Amino acid sequence: MNAKSLGIFGLLVMLFVFMVLMTSDPWTDIFSSTFLQANNLENLLRRVSMYGLLGIGVAFVIITGGIDLSVGSIVCLAGCLLGIFLQVDYQPASVFDVRSADQEKKSVVIYGNAEDKYEVGDKLRMYRGRQPAVLTVLGLEPVQLADSDNQPVGVGTILDVQGLSRDEDSGQVAKAFEVIDFGLAQTDQPAWVKLVDVPFELTPRDRVSFFHPTLGLKDLVVSSATQEGGISRIEFVQSLGERFSKEWMAMPTERKQRMAIPLAIMSVLGIAGFLGLLHGLLVTRVHLQPFVVTLCGLLIYRGISRWLVDDNPVGFGIEYKETLSPLGSGKMSLLEWGDGAQTFGIPYPLFVFLCAAIVAAIFLNLTIWGRYLMALGSNEEAARYSGIRTGRVTILAYVICTVSAATGGILFALDSGSISPSSFGNFYELYAIAAAVLGGCSLRGGEGSIFGVIAGTAVMMLLNNLILLLKIPDRLEFTIIGLVILIGVTLDETVRRIAARRRAMKSGQN
Amino acid sequence: MTEVDTPLLEVREIGKQFPGVRALHGVNLTVQQAEVLAVIGENGAGKSTLMKILAGVQLPDGGQILIDGKPVTLDSVKASLDSGVALIHQELNLAENLQVGENIYLGREPNRYGFIDRKQINRDASLVLQQIGLEVAPTTPLSELSIGQRQMVEIAKAMSVGARVLIMDEPTSSLSSAEAERLFQVVNDLRERGVSIIYISHRLGEVQALADRVVVLRDGENAGVLDRDEISHDNMVRMMVGRDVSQFYSRETLPIGDVVLSVEGIRTPAWPEHELTFSIRSGEIVGISGLVGAGRTEMLRTLFGVDRPVSGRVVVEGKQVDLASPLAAIHAGIALVPEDRKLNGLVIDMSVRHNIGLAALSRNRLAGGFLNRAVERRDTTQMIRDLRIKTPNDAQITRFLSGGNQQKVVLGKWLSMMPKILLLDEPTRGIDVGAKQEIYQLMEQLARDGLAVLFVSSEMEEIMGMSDRTIVMHEGCITGELERSELSEEAIMQLATGKANEGATVIN
Repeated sequence: MNAKSLGIFGLLVMLFVFMVLMTSDPWTDIFSSTFLQANNLENLLRRVSMYGLLGIGVAFVIITGGIDLSVGSIVCLAGCLLGIFLQVDYQPASVFDVRSADQEKKSVVIYGNAEDKYEVGDKLRMYRGRQPAVLTVLGLEPVQLADSDNQPVGVGTILDVQGLSRDEDSGQVAKAFEVIDFGLAQTDQPAWVKLVDVPFELTPRDRVSFFHPTLGLKDLVVSSATQEGGISRIEFVQSLGERFSKEWMAMPTERKQRMAIPLAIMSVLGIAGFLGLLHGLLVTRVHLQPFVVTLCGLLIYRGISRWLVDDNPVGFGIEYKETLSPLGSGKMSLLEWGDGAQTFGIPYPLFVFLCAAIVAAIFLNLTIWGRYLMALGSNEEAARYSGIRTGRVTILAYVICTVSAATGGILFALDSGSISPSSFGNFYELYAIAAAVLGGCSLRGGEGSIFGVIAGTAVMMLLNNLILLLKIPDRLEFTIIGLVILIGVTLDETVRRIAARRRAMKSGQN
Repeated sequence: MTEVDTPLLEVREIGKQFPGVRALHGVNLTVQQAEVLAVIGENGAGKSTLMKILAGVQLPDGGQILIDGKPVTLDSVKASLDSGVALIHQELNLAENLQVGENIYLGREPNRYGFIDRKQINRDASLVLQQIGLEVAPTTPLSELSIGQRQMVEIAKAMSVGARVLIMDEPTSSLSSAEAERLFQVVNDLRERGVSIIYISHRLGEVQALADRVVVLRDGENAGVLDRDEISHDNMVRMMVGRDVSQFYSRETLPIGDVVLSVEGIRTPAWPEHELTFSIRSGEIVGISGLVGAGRTEMLRTLFGVDRPVSGRVVVEGKQVDLASPLAAIHAGIALVPEDRKLNGLVIDMSVRHNIGLAALSRNRLAGGFLNRAVERRDTTQMIRDLRIKTPNDAQITRFLSGGNQQKVVLGKWLSMMPKILLLDEPTRGIDVGAKQEIYQLMEQLARDGLAVLFVSSEMEEIMGMSDRTIVMHEGCITGELERSELSEEAIMQLATGKANEGATVIN
């Protein structure tokens, strides 16, 4: 730990003590401190971890003498991509898109050949349109579909049906099944139904939609299913309800997750890494200024994120509540008191962050690439003249930056559960850069330590917490953070000047 | 010129103490009107401190400064300028984005209601430029001027303030010989017009040619004064180092081995029209002479892989090598000590150890890319000892070392790689006499150990003293090779000026 890191660490400790005293009432009773409340501390650790990941990433780029302004947008893009990759659809069996439906003609035209899927007498559910209806198939007739200019657009099927309640030109039809037997939930066993000839095997977390012409619709989650001689017996997590009867029809739907969780995470990180590679190539090969490259990145990725999800919020809902989401929002409980009402635990993001920080610190201080990074940040020409492939090392720094920004983005997204692409991650790059600078990175390059960045992030988050707890109007948040950074950097520069002068005198330069 | 006995500027018993170091102690100095006074001394002798005091950048701890016999306090640059003392900086202090005239009047623009009066600037500036004989229009952008011309602009700027004493700190360090020649004329003109000049230089040849008197400083004290007829190279060196240096270049003839590097028809990107062909044997020291801009640095850059050759072959120990990058050159056993060590040679804000270890990091690394700190430490310790690098410890930041020791750090970086071919570009530029000699001894030692040493130098003495063989370049092409027996200043100059060219002579 160098003197510089020590300075920021000192500031951190001072701020901490100040917070404890200011939020205690009376100030001698530190147990009354609202700041020291378990959930406040947990929250603080969580935020430090997530913002810290961004700070560490951007520190690598800053050490090369560059800058990455795209961090916030990468955070957003990572969140949106994760949402897209992990999107879950429930797909019924034998489903077709509706082209048109005519109530008078009692016919529905669908895209695709349905002859070997549907038979006369089958019950169909028409859904996702304006009005759901249960149809009975009276006849099928294959047809060539054509557009208004009589250009063929593929095969279709005309269904003669019973039960159409209105004209439709949207929605889907899928096969519905009759409930041949069922059991309501008992104390010792869950609710179950029996269906015939379900074309796929149901597995836990699949769902079955039940619908009734007058009583409505309900979706149940499968807990287990067995199949024997064409009859499927399906058990559910929830109950069927008292008014359930054999008049209800069932539409089993298969849960389709676009990607497995590890694949989704690797893909997000991979895409982020690729973007970092592009940044690096543009900076080192095309000789564009890092500021310009990443400023464009900031705009482009924000736009892409919004376009990808049509500016709609992206959520992870309850699908990942028990699997992935805790990585962002969960904690490892350590202490419990007040009959379990109060707990303190270590938020999971902290583990991710600590791993990243340790790896980063080892990389920077103990490997040759870390030394290369420091050397080229301080004097790129001299590094090149010493046989260092400066281009590659610089590109590596940009890749590290975007990958850790994306890691942060994943955690932020999981923590908040739902993100809106137009605002998620806004200004995060500035938090990250401020934390790195506060932690001793020089924008001229060649200086910086991981410990400093962590302390810098912690100071930023403490300030944020201070504004909240001391009930300072949050309109002033940016002002206060700006002032503190300004004071910190001014002090640092002054101390450095004095130290340099002393040193110069000591070594007798004249 | 009425009171000839009162010196224009007199410095009496000036002292300056830095924590732990006595930079100046009881230094005396007088400058007469219309005199060129050279101040020489090794690095660290106190020249720069003394000049900073005169220019008002630093305050002395004790002593007196008199101008026209009256004591003055030079507590700011402005106070010095008002007293007629101006410092021409080693690193030029000009704004490249402004015009010549604007630079001359920077900070004190003649104005009318706050609007700059360009007409007056240009009128006044052309007068000053004319006085010093610089033939450029005041409206020329500074960026279009050569280094030498820029220096003239600095001088014009000082003259326009009405300076009576001009302090020139290493003015020729980045000039070509033609530009230097031009500068000497201006110095002589200024002297004739009654301006006094304090001239600081490491180049004793220049001092000998220009100075009316020489003041020698050593370890912050007066080491002596040489009058016009006493100024000689030997006298100056003796006073500077405090001992007799008769055998400054003590080259003995060494056995020379096989050809290590052979360059066959290489064309550099800077001079693609000329092919360069030569070879160098192990144990041989080859000097490359020529005027500034003759393409010598460009050739070394190409041999080190910084610039890719346009065509041609480079063969190292019988194997053709592709010099695509410095890394490739290093792998081939080539090392380069570049001309500008602060720009290309050193990561100046890193420690001595990290600088010496930088090139060898990849070779010494442990599994997984981890640094091998033990080897780095060992190599550094060995280099500090072998090269006698004066540093408190290996963690010292290189910036705080003297020029000579910095140069040794660059050398140490390469020697720890055990190269076969050592390229040196102006290895003794900006280095004091003592360190110069150490570098020469090192070069000789390395040659004795079997290295092939190729060095570029603009100092004729260095070429004459050090090289077994001299390659002379002119405008990007090799105009000749001289064996040690054929070496003479005339012969070199003939080749360096392309034989046909007249006029350019090197004072050295």
